[in-house]
Amino acid sequence: MIHVVTDSTSDMTQEQARELGVTVVPLIVRFGEEQFRDGVDLDADAFYRRLTTGKVHPTTSQPPPEEFNAVYKALLRDPADSVVSIHISSKLSGTLQSAHLAVQELGPERIHLVDSESVSAGLQLLVRGAVDDIAHGCEPVEVVDRARELRRRIGIYVLLDTLTYLQRGGRIGRAQALVGGLLNVKPVLVVDDGEVAPQGRVRSRRQGVDMIVEQIRKRAPLRALAVFHTGAPELLGEICSRLTAAFPGTDILEGQVGPVVGAYAGPGGAGVAYEAAG
Amino acid sequence: MSATDAARSRVSVVREPLRQVSGAHVLAGLRVALSWLQANQQEINDLNVFPVPDGDTGSNMYLTLRSAVEEAQHAPSPSSVDSVLAAAAHGSLMGARGNSGVILSQILRGFAQGVAAHSTIDVHGVARSFKEASAVAYRAVMKPTEGTILTVIREAAEAAVAAAEETDDIRVLLDRVVRESHAAVERTTDQLQVLRDAGVVDAGGFGLAVIFDGFTRAVNEIDGPQPAVPIPIRRPGEPPVRSPRAPDAPEVSVTGGRRGAAAVAAREEGWGYCTEFLINGPDLDVDRLRDELSGLGESALVVGDADLVRVHIHTDNPAGLIAVASQRGRLDKLKVEDMTAQHHDVLERAAPARKPLGIVSVAPASGFREILESLGADSVVLGGQTMNPSTEDLLKAVVGVNADSVILLPNNSNVILAAERVDEVAQDCAVRVVPTRNLPQGISALLAADPSAGVDDNVARMQDAITTVRAVEVTRAVRDSTANGRDIKEGDVIAIVDDDITEIGDDYLAVIEAVLTAQESRPQLVTVYRGGEVSDAVAARLVDSLRESHPDVEFELHEGGQEHYPYVLSLE
Repeated sequence: MIHVVTDSTSDMTQEQARELGVTVVPLIVRFGEEQFRDGVDLDADAFYRRLTTGKVHPTTSQPPPEEFNAVYKALLRDPADSVVSIHISSKLSGTLQSAHLAVQELGPERIHLVDSESVSAGLQLLVRGAVDDIAHGCEPVEVVDRARELRRRIGIYVLLDTLTYLQRGGRIGRAQALVGGLLNVKPVLVVDDGEVAPQGRVRSRRQGVDMIVEQIRKRAPLRALAVFHTGAPELLGEICSRLTAAFPGTDILEGQVGPVVGAYAGPGGAGVAYEAAG
Repeated sequence: MSATDAARSRVSVVREPLRQVSGAHVLAGLRVALSWLQANQQEINDLNVFPVPDGDTGSNMYLTLRSAVEEAQHAPSPSSVDSVLAAAAHGSLMGARGNSGVILSQILRGFAQGVAAHSTIDVHGVARSFKEASAVAYRAVMKPTEGTILTVIREAAEAAVAAAEETDDIRVLLDRVVRESHAAVERTTDQLQVLRDAGVVDAGGFGLAVIFDGFTRAVNEIDGPQPAVPIPIRRPGEPPVRSPRAPDAPEVSVTGGRRGAAAVAAREEGWGYCTEFLINGPDLDVDRLRDELSGLGESALVVGDADLVRVHIHTDNPAGLIAVASQRGRLDKLKVEDMTAQHHDVLERAAPARKPLGIVSVAPASGFREILESLGADSVVLGGQTMNPSTEDLLKAVVGVNADSVILLPNNSNVILAAERVDEVAQDCAVRVVPTRNLPQGISALLAADPSAGVDDNVARMQDAITTVRAVEVTRAVRDSTANGRDIKEGDVIAIVDDDITEIGDDYLAVIEAVLTAQESRPQLVTVYRGGEVSDAVAARLVDSLRESHPDVEFELHEGGQEHYPYVLSLE
């Protein structure tokens, strides 16, 4: 059988992972000396409370290679089994590097790594696509090829409440262009080619949602949408009603961004991933 | 020839027909027209359709024509009409300020085109140049509106053409032009609803009639005595057109009326000092202060009430001005800036490395300037509500940015036309204008900028962005008026929402509340920019009250520093 592995930046709940039969490898979140496994020891709600009230800013790191090693070994007990392992963009995290080290040790024959070139809701859409393909009887190589084709049709736009967290986390990169000077501005980012790039800056949520809807409209017709919030369920509601009006009949997957991505996005934001029809 | 001589011309009885006009006639005419315009500058400023204290049409037209005269005086062949008018047209384009100033510059350009390749012209040449002036002015405006300066130049041109059929005397033609221009000005009140509501004639149209009036008086006087033509220059219920140093005009009541020639000369020596201060009361007589102080400089702005008067004057003698003012009350926030030095600073600032795209914006005060700079404007030209920057001011900023393309954000509806002329005079740089009509639009446009994208893409992004913000400007009415069928009393607080007076009330908070309540689509974010005369504490109290009554709206307070409008708000 073909097993699907992803990491915790896919922001899948444990329940969703169980239903889909996907194994999730957690990244690491640290508040000072305290260390948590993303989504295992620390859930999103507890994390955002701590992010907004605590003094210490969290740091994150990729899962250690041994973690992948253990997961792969467990899944590959039966010689007929294989693994398709789909992860956060290698330009955003060293997670794929860790997985790669595990593959070096275990041999590449039965483990297939895929760089999603995306994160969070976008990564999850890609994982769900692979699960579907396996259910439809695709062979591992086909699953990988189809995932690499699908990732070109998946994109993600992010509306943040502030650039502060991206700046603090040292991951601001090209989004530096969106700094708002004397006014409070909300940055809109796009994950493009696996990297976070500036899309624009707005002053109100509504303007940000408008901008995202307009960008996604250019990619219609759509097969699916996914909206994940960072501790801002009311923003998720606002975005979903706008998307439902703009793209009637398209399924919208709702979710919450977990601690690792949330540490950079900060509270009060949301990401919208779309899957364009093939 | 001096203005005094022109005014004295009414005594004679017989005159010779004037069959040819030379460059000397035109130059004399323009000089006298300039002093007439200056004498009427304040009156034209006061013909503001909104009862707000920022009317500047008179000042804008005066500064534009002054720039025309300065250059005409140095025309390569002063006796030739085409040389003098071509120089005047170029000078006016460089000095064009405000929409009326830009249209005036286009009228002068039309005159210049109409006389091209002629050293003198007869009545038919004059009529042709009037027709061309009208045509060029109409072409300069995207949506020509009747009841404005355009109507006046068109009717003036029609009068000139009709007269040329009947006479070969250019003086007869010009007299008829003046008469018909004033008649056309009278009719503007009924042609535009805003003018009817305000009970005024169109300011730009009146300014143009004053220019023709002064010009004609000069031409009438050249080459000997001639009879005074009884020109109906009095608007019903309004003071007469003021003549510079005319025996029948009260000398002191006219802003700078005594300084016609001196002001032009002063400009060659330097740019003077921009002097600003507050006079603290009690018992200040604003009108008297205005009379006293405005004669001591140019671009005078004296506003306020018995307790506090704000003064903003460009003068060559700030010490004298301060001495006079300090006798009337305690002075505060005194600021004297050497505009000559500023001018040099602009010229001498080391040029930064050339970049593909730059953004130049306009702000009325330092608060807004800092905000615009922090958002990425490469250069911010101070000006707007009280002092519209000229095409030349904008050009200097554009050149200073040193970019292949520059996007200009005028941030004031009265600066848009001047901005649109900059591309014509800019060398080695393509200039595009995104027609932002107010600061909130300008800020939205700037936020939408993407330095890594091309100029077309940026213009499109900015044009989209300015539709997502609503601007609210709050001030007090300076006279009784009506708007949208509602009466406005002097002193009422009024809110102008995207160019329309929508709310009238007694205090700022109530009027702003009314604006917010009236919004069909509730804003998520309201940014309040407090004016220079509002303290941070007062504005913070207002914003706190707004927060209480609109808990679901986000409020931000910033210092804009603008004059006249205690509060400018953006709703988005």
